[in-house]
Amino acid sequence: MTDGALIVQSDKTLLLEVDHPRSAEARRAIAPFAELERAPEHIHTYRITPLGLWNARAAGHDAEQVVDALVTHSRYPVPHALLIDVADTMARYGRLTLLKDDDGRLVLRSTDRAVLAEVLRHKRIKPLIGEHLDEDNVVVHPSERGHLKQELLKVGWPAEDEAGYVDGEAHQIDLDQSEGWSLRPYQEQAVDGFWDGGSGVVVLPCGAGKTLVGAGAMAKASATTLILVTNTVSARQWKDELLRRTSLTEDEIGEYSGARKEIRPVTIATYQVLTTRRKGVYTHLDLLDARDWGLVVYDEVHLLPAPIFRMTADLQARRRLGLTATLVREDGLESDVFSLIGPKRFDAPWKDIEAQGYIAPADCVEVRVTLPDGQRMAYAVADAEDRYRLASCSDAKLPVVEKLVARHRGEPTLVIGQYLDQLDELAGRLDADVITGETTVAERQRLFGAFRTGQIDLLVVSKVANFSIDLPEASVAIQVSGTFGSRQEEAQRLGRVLRPKGDGRTAHFYTVVARDTVDAEFAAHRQRFLAEQGYAYRIIDASDL
Amino acid sequence: MQSISPPASRSLADDIRGRSDEELTALLAARPDLARPAPSDLTALAARSSTRASTARAIDALDTAHLQALEAAAVGAGATTTADLTRRLGADDPTLVDNLREELWRVALVWRAPEGLVVTRTTLEVLGESVAGLGPVAADLPGGAAPSDERIREIAADAPPRARAILDRLMWGPPLGIVPAEDSPGRPGPADDGPRWLVANGLVRAIAADQIVLPREVALVLRDGLVHRDPHLVPPSVTGPQRQPEAVDAAAGASASEVLALLDDLLDSWSQNPPRVLRTGGLAVRDLKAASAHLDTTPEHTAYLVELALIADLVADDGEVDPHWVPTAEYDAWQTEPGGERWARLALAWLSTTRAPHRVGSRSDASAVVNALGSDVQWPPIRSLRRAVLDLLGSVDGAIAPTAGDLAEAVRWHRPRRVPRTLDAVVEAVLREASWLGITGHGALSVAGRALLESDGEVDVVAESIHPHLPAPVDAVLLQADLTAIAPGPVTGSLAAFLRMVADVESRGGATVHRFSEDSIRRCLDTGWTGDDILAGLRDASSTPVPQPLEYLVRDVARRHGTVRVRGVGAVIRSEDEAGLDVMLAHKRLAPIQLRRIAPTVLTSPASPEVVLEMLREEGFSPVAESASGVVAVPSRPVRRAVRQRAIDPALVQAIDRAQLGSLVAGLRAAESQAQARAAGAAGGGRVGPAIPANDPTTSMAVLREAIADGRAVWLGYSDGLGQTQRMLFHPDRLDGGRVSGVSEGVTRTLSIHRITGVVPN
Repeated sequence: MTDGALIVQSDKTLLLEVDHPRSAEARRAIAPFAELERAPEHIHTYRITPLGLWNARAAGHDAEQVVDALVTHSRYPVPHALLIDVADTMARYGRLTLLKDDDGRLVLRSTDRAVLAEVLRHKRIKPLIGEHLDEDNVVVHPSERGHLKQELLKVGWPAEDEAGYVDGEAHQIDLDQSEGWSLRPYQEQAVDGFWDGGSGVVVLPCGAGKTLVGAGAMAKASATTLILVTNTVSARQWKDELLRRTSLTEDEIGEYSGARKEIRPVTIATYQVLTTRRKGVYTHLDLLDARDWGLVVYDEVHLLPAPIFRMTADLQARRRLGLTATLVREDGLESDVFSLIGPKRFDAPWKDIEAQGYIAPADCVEVRVTLPDGQRMAYAVADAEDRYRLASCSDAKLPVVEKLVARHRGEPTLVIGQYLDQLDELAGRLDADVITGETTVAERQRLFGAFRTGQIDLLVVSKVANFSIDLPEASVAIQVSGTFGSRQEEAQRLGRVLRPKGDGRTAHFYTVVARDTVDAEFAAHRQRFLAEQGYAYRIIDASDL
Repeated sequence: MQSISPPASRSLADDIRGRSDEELTALLAARPDLARPAPSDLTALAARSSTRASTARAIDALDTAHLQALEAAAVGAGATTTADLTRRLGADDPTLVDNLREELWRVALVWRAPEGLVVTRTTLEVLGESVAGLGPVAADLPGGAAPSDERIREIAADAPPRARAILDRLMWGPPLGIVPAEDSPGRPGPADDGPRWLVANGLVRAIAADQIVLPREVALVLRDGLVHRDPHLVPPSVTGPQRQPEAVDAAAGASASEVLALLDDLLDSWSQNPPRVLRTGGLAVRDLKAASAHLDTTPEHTAYLVELALIADLVADDGEVDPHWVPTAEYDAWQTEPGGERWARLALAWLSTTRAPHRVGSRSDASAVVNALGSDVQWPPIRSLRRAVLDLLGSVDGAIAPTAGDLAEAVRWHRPRRVPRTLDAVVEAVLREASWLGITGHGALSVAGRALLESDGEVDVVAESIHPHLPAPVDAVLLQADLTAIAPGPVTGSLAAFLRMVADVESRGGATVHRFSEDSIRRCLDTGWTGDDILAGLRDASSTPVPQPLEYLVRDVARRHGTVRVRGVGAVIRSEDEAGLDVMLAHKRLAPIQLRRIAPTVLTSPASPEVVLEMLREEGFSPVAESASGVVAVPSRPVRRAVRQRAIDPALVQAIDRAQLGSLVAGLRAAESQAQARAAGAAGGGRVGPAIPANDPTTSMAVLREAIADGRAVWLGYSDGLGQTQRMLFHPDRLDGGRVSGVSEGVTRTLSIHRITGVVPN
């Protein structure tokens, strides 16, 4: 029995004792192959999954290193079966390789004939395969490169993609570091990690500068780039950031959205426009082939809609960079991210980045409001589908929000909600502007601009504000209603207030929930996520405010 | 024991009588069945040793080397010399053969004649006709004695390819071959190149039209004098990868600790929700699945744990009318013991049990699924097989982890006549169970495992051996804001019980992760704890402060807990007159109805409303009854009425017309005269026909057969469906299948022989 910092559980989770003297060493040893699942104050939980092990394999780690890391740092003996399982799983990656043969054909090659024979017998894989060259090689049609990788992953034999990428149309892009800024070390690592791996996903928390990682990758590629983002506001922000941080000029960057259809060397398109269908046909698919793109950037990979995956399957010859705050997808499509965009190339625990001072520390508080008797009655007799709305829109929350706003008067504050009438009412009482999906883009940008410059310090926003808008100086967020406890959304909202603050102030994140209702239940999900991410949160009663 | 010139004997009895005391002791030790009950003298001992049962037992106990030596001795006619034996075994080490021979003599399967060793007659019988795949000797086969060895070699060398192929097939047995009809040796025809050629040249013998057999002499010559194709005179070596002894013991300790924790958890949950005992005696598959889900273990592992609890007497059928599997009183004692002792009791129980947990979930012979804790799990051979596997593990020095395949091979060598068909699976199961229990670690025998095998059932010794390797229990957990409590090592005793109560286990292994939830806290409150108790318990259990969200959760659940109270009452007394209710409460004579005030205007009583009404009226109050919905129930002092009995309609007599009466009477008359006629017929000379004696069926059949042959009638008694014996004159015409058919009174009848009481020719 050694005195390691790690405890290996039989369900393949790893418990890392944070206060242990050798915990940093153990963390470094296991980080390549284990996903950080929870990071509360004392013990962090990592999980070993096949995807994680294959990610590690893709990054050049072998089973011996993994086993060694476990055995060295484990406090108790590691179950033999688990070690064997790790070795077996890792050995599955790389038995099959996709590569270009001497004649330039795309070929699936195996070092193990039995494996090749096994996968070729699968009825979903058979149609993706062309001529059998010999016992170890089969031709794959280039258009099936993505589908094949998806299917191979499903049957547990992920293929290593070494078929390379097209260079794309060259286009000079440089980082403009004249204004005395440079990529932060972890951003550099992320760019290098991505470039060495070819394609893949970089996981960074909101506010840690994912856009810059994208810009760094574009500079490396120096080729025409297609950037896919979640919505128009986000597209504009990408554009502003690229103009500011790179040698790109206004004329070189095009926006391809519902409003504008520009195709330029760097084109920023929204998911929405790509997934628009008319009579069952995706009308804007041509964009993907409009230029010889050398790089495709996916912003917020965890929100990537399923149709985009299908389109991505056809883009396998181009370099792909995924950017996200979390690989956790509510729909469980993590494996598609792995096979179609690529393995994870860089990941940093939030807390570590926060410790480096790039994100503001956050104080998370849940405020519980007791519903007045009349509303309790209404809630009790309401249909299940109306309950959430009833509870989360209770007007008992209004005075609480007012109090909180008053407490942080002068600090940039966001009030976030789901239901428009509630937001309107709040805006009325707080005398603040509202941004919802109906607000025009120009108005939105004007308000955001004013908020940024400090002209206004209070905004009421609906869920459109959740994604990819940049509000650098918001330091207080008050959430009054959300969508059914989605962990992803929580990460986003927290991200809103976690953007770097000029003066290193503490950010505040309040959630106002109605006690003893489904609202509190959903809040519990979110809290768990926050606690797991290592944010201390407190629960207080509205009366204690 | 081996003398320089062993005395020769003339029979087994003679041989045994000639043995020294030491040699006799060795014989009895090797074959304990000869000693119980004690034989009266040496002749009796010799007689008993040559019984078939005892001999079979002794042969079953032989390992492959001895069995092969015995077979080699048995194939020769008459006595076998050491030289014969050495040659037949193809051995190049004479000491080895000497030792084998000595051992066979020691257990009295062979005896020493002046000419050499003689295999006892019973041994030959037990070994059977075809020893080592050899056929009968030529002299016992059609065609007489075999050609000389030289001749056999010559003929075999000249054999045409087809004949050679047949020889090659029969050479190592089985010696019997079936030939296609066109090759049949019985068919006249030229001696072609197949079986007919072989028969013609005397190498094989035809024992039926389409069967040939290779005589023993021929086979032995073809085998170059060897009896076995692969003589295995030395045990196969058991090897495998070398493990670090410390790692082995640490892993074993971890498994041991886990098994204890899992059993605690399982039995704790069974204390509260015991599963039912199936009518057939086992545990329902559903309950096993539930346990599996509860413990988060595989079904096989769960079945093993459940069985382990049974064989260590930690659970038992409670024997109630509706029986359940419940932890025993021994479990309570076991729980309080130190880890080492607890483990030792489990390990010793497992080592000696005849239950085979790996059979759970498989199909028994009756093709029903074997239920855990059921009687089908019993499989007595498992005990010796388990011991054999573990002894083999123990026989290698150092921390070697042999594969199941190697071990199975070795087990097969050590007890060739006693291996089940499923040996490989059994060995795997034993190894799996041993590793779950911590007898092995990383596949190698641990120090504790070795101590277990060497112990003589002493709990202390075994406990002592595992103790240093059990992970030290922790006395504090880490509480975290994500509502988990992590015990970074095994927890025991009251801490474990407390955690099981307030939280649910989320993951196991070296550490245990417990998760708090509203449900788990409420469950704890339901057992009588208060929120403050829980928080105090958490503070005691934790090495870190209780996180605010956890404290809030406990307080929040405690706040709501019990805000709604439920009680059962027999009657409720309502009155706007609070003073009146005060009087009732104070009234002595109303004490029996145990009035309680639950609100200023409401009293309750466990008595029924009728009793309460009655009592109150007696004491001068004037209550009215209320229905359950609160409406005054009109005092329906019920006027009792019975339901009218349905009257029976008076009988009506219908007039009968004369015509009807006439025919009725005529009918009666006719019946009467028929009866008289029958009586007259029967009374004529007492009865018709001769007296019928009671015969046995064989005699009856003989008489019947004779009558059929002569075409005559018989008188017979026949017991009819009502058990009465009828007499009848019967003209039989056919007798077969236990039945006789024929004609009686003009009617064709078929009678069963067994019902015929007797037959007399007419």
